[in-house]
Amino acid sequence: MLPDTVHKLPREERFAYARLLAFMARIDNELTVDEMAMFEQRLGTALLSPGQRESIRAALKNPPSLEECLADLSGEAGRLALRDAVMMAAADGTVDEDEREALEDISEHLGLREEAVEELLNWTVKGYKWMKEGYELLDTLEE
Amino acid sequence: MFPDGLIHRSPQERVRYAEILVFIAAADGELVREEIAMIEAMMGRAMIHPESRIKIRGGFEQPIPLEQSLADLDPTFAQIVLRDAALVAAVDGDYDRKELTALRKIAKAADVSPKQLSQLLDWVTEGWHWFEEASAFLGK
Repeated sequence: MLPDTVHKLPREERFAYARLLAFMARIDNELTVDEMAMFEQRLGTALLSPGQRESIRAALKNPPSLEECLADLSGEAGRLALRDAVMMAAADGTVDEDEREALEDISEHLGLREEAVEELLNWTVKGYKWMKEGYELLDTLEE
Repeated sequence: MFPDGLIHRSPQERVRYAEILVFIAAADGELVREEIAMIEAMMGRAMIHPESRIKIRGGFEQPIPLEQSLADLDPTFAQIVLRDAALVAAVDGDYDRKELTALRKIAKAADVSPKQLSQLLDWVTEGWHWFEEASAFLGK
């Protein structure tokens, strides 16, 4: 949606990034249309090959474990995956216990500061406010 | 992500939405990877069918004329298109003259005044700042 760097990552790292998001999308065993739309958006940003997209969509039906996802994730790909995992977790308005635990595990795996997840959650709230403002702005646009 | 009901629009409308975004991305004559990634993200968010996406990608080479895509477009829907077109136009760092001309045409179809278009572009800038904050603290 906004200028991003996911598409600049090496192909294998983009795949690992998307795999982690597939895990996050299915963490509560529910996948709403809005979550699916957000997942598809991130998949688009990652510029995956058609074959990789198929694998990722299959991963949605049969999600990998968090450990499997993390084994392939590090560095920038990991940080971007955590950022977008936070956004996905917060997409329905709340972050439940399982989601929070997974986010903290990812952060720990990446060696980030203890408050990283909290900071990202605050950043996400700010972003959703910005998106809402955009939608409200649309309401006022018609002359 | 945006609570705009885009995914509940008809498949034909969503294809038109993407065709306009492709037009905007190609408007300055150069199509950079950032713009392609943005279009792919927008198509994903709009949950456009994979086969339709293939046809839409054809527009990267030869975009569908904007006037054709804008014809009979519902003004309310055109506002959503305008918002996302502004995001796409901004992705390569600034608004090219041709991109601005195209945005004005979409604004006209959406019954949006130049002043309101300017507000929308300010909103896009705010979003850029927000997004960059994450890169800043994740890089610490």
